[in-house]
Amino acid sequence: MLGRRTWIGLATVLALVAIWFLLTTVTGMVSGGRFPSPAEFWASFRQITGRGYAGGDLLQHALHSLKLVVMGFAVAVATGVPLGLWMGWSRKVEAAINPVFLVIRPIPPLAWIPLAILWLGLGDAAKIMVIWFSAFVPSVINSFTGVRTIDRPILEAARMLGTPRWRMVTEVIAPAAAPMIFTGLRLSLQASWTTLVAAELVGALVGVGFVLNMAQQDLYPGMILVGMVTVGMLGWGTTKLLAMAEQHALAWNVAARD
Amino acid sequence: MGSIRFDHVDKVFGPNTGGVKALDDINLEIGEKEFVAIVGPSGCGKTTCLRMVAGFEAPSAGVVSVSGKPVTAPGPDRAVVFQQFALFPWKTVRENIELGLRNKNLPAGKRADLVAGALKLMNLESHAAAFPHQLSGGMQQRVAIARAYVLDPDVLLMDEPFGALDAQTRVVMQEELVRLARVNPRTVLFITHAVEEAVYLADRVAIMTRRPGRIKEVLDIRAIRQAENWDKHQRIEDVMDLESFVHLRTQIWKSLREEKGANVT
Repeated sequence: MLGRRTWIGLATVLALVAIWFLLTTVTGMVSGGRFPSPAEFWASFRQITGRGYAGGDLLQHALHSLKLVVMGFAVAVATGVPLGLWMGWSRKVEAAINPVFLVIRPIPPLAWIPLAILWLGLGDAAKIMVIWFSAFVPSVINSFTGVRTIDRPILEAARMLGTPRWRMVTEVIAPAAAPMIFTGLRLSLQASWTTLVAAELVGALVGVGFVLNMAQQDLYPGMILVGMVTVGMLGWGTTKLLAMAEQHALAWNVAARD
Repeated sequence: MGSIRFDHVDKVFGPNTGGVKALDDINLEIGEKEFVAIVGPSGCGKTTCLRMVAGFEAPSAGVVSVSGKPVTAPGPDRAVVFQQFALFPWKTVRENIELGLRNKNLPAGKRADLVAGALKLMNLESHAAAFPHQLSGGMQQRVAIARAYVLDPDVLLMDEPFGALDAQTRVVMQEELVRLARVNPRTVLFITHAVEEAVYLADRVAIMTRRPGRIKEVLDIRAIRQAENWDKHQRIEDVMDLESFVHLRTQIWKSLREEKGANVT
């Protein structure tokens, strides 16, 4: 059932775990104060899933972080994709909005965190806002590019067929730009996780970033690793879901690539 | 319905940046249900002529009119068949053909009948649910022709429609187009750089000069076709062997070769 590529990937992961075990537990080349051994990692994992850590168990922290990412990402996509399509379609809209973009875009999303906390406090709203800012830009730019790179004859064919304005958007522009839109969504999702963890590191009361922050203050490498792995798994899982959605939506295109 | 008229048409590209004159005083009348092919060297502006009838581009001077009315925008009364097919890859064959009918707000039952007719006409019935990428180039162009014919347009505009096809498919499609023209005659403006194709298909052939493009001469093929009874032959190669065909082809060839830098096949 598993393909050759999957086996090779699995072997690499197992090898890395073996090296980890070798360097920490077996030879002691890396001390437990710098990087946890597999046993310490497991103990930390048992602790946070059992008694809990930083005010909650792992599931609570993970679900909270996941909720913020999904909300921030959803708001960014719901606003960014339409704006990008609109800018791609209308030179006037592009001319009006592009200057604002040029000014705001070089500001790293993380630089918004202090302002967001000042405005909205340490709660969820501030984090959603920062995620929105960071995920917004890739959605807009890729949707915009998607529209601008549509083959001209496709648009001309649609006009020749008398396609009315709204149907032009929903049945021609959006599907034609869809491959690029999905590229934007992938980048947006990545940006969402990056920003979330950073925002939770700076100020939060619950969440995976908060776990990382507490573990650092407690000088607790095992728990730091648990936090990192959790973020990694969540990021991987959400990316996988998005890829499945893409494959479903772009069946005509994925098949064309084969 | 369906006549096309070019009246002292000029086209200049990039008029604000010096400008390149692409077309110079084009005058041409295409009658109702007449099939006119325009041949000319690459870059002579023959495609631009078609694009102005389609409403994709406006003349810099002069007037292009269809059925007596100046062209202002694209519309389903002037169906276009593009060289690169320009099908919607995310729509099935059926959906591609149906879009124009939906845009006309026809009821579903009527649409289904018309689509079925178009599929049958182009021998596409078994591919109705396929996506374009699953079809060969020739099949894709059949879909594009069906999409154009189903609109019941006054005018059919074909921009090197067989240029992207291999030689054998091309011949099949040319014969197919002749069959269509007999079953369901239309006013056709056909752009090509293949001389034989023009002679085989058209009632009249307009020869253009190199850039800036002008109409050099217009040959009446119809009279010779009828006099020599080309239509009794089923196959394109039999027609191409006829003395009258060879003569016409050579005449057009020579005319094009006089255009310095001409590049024709």
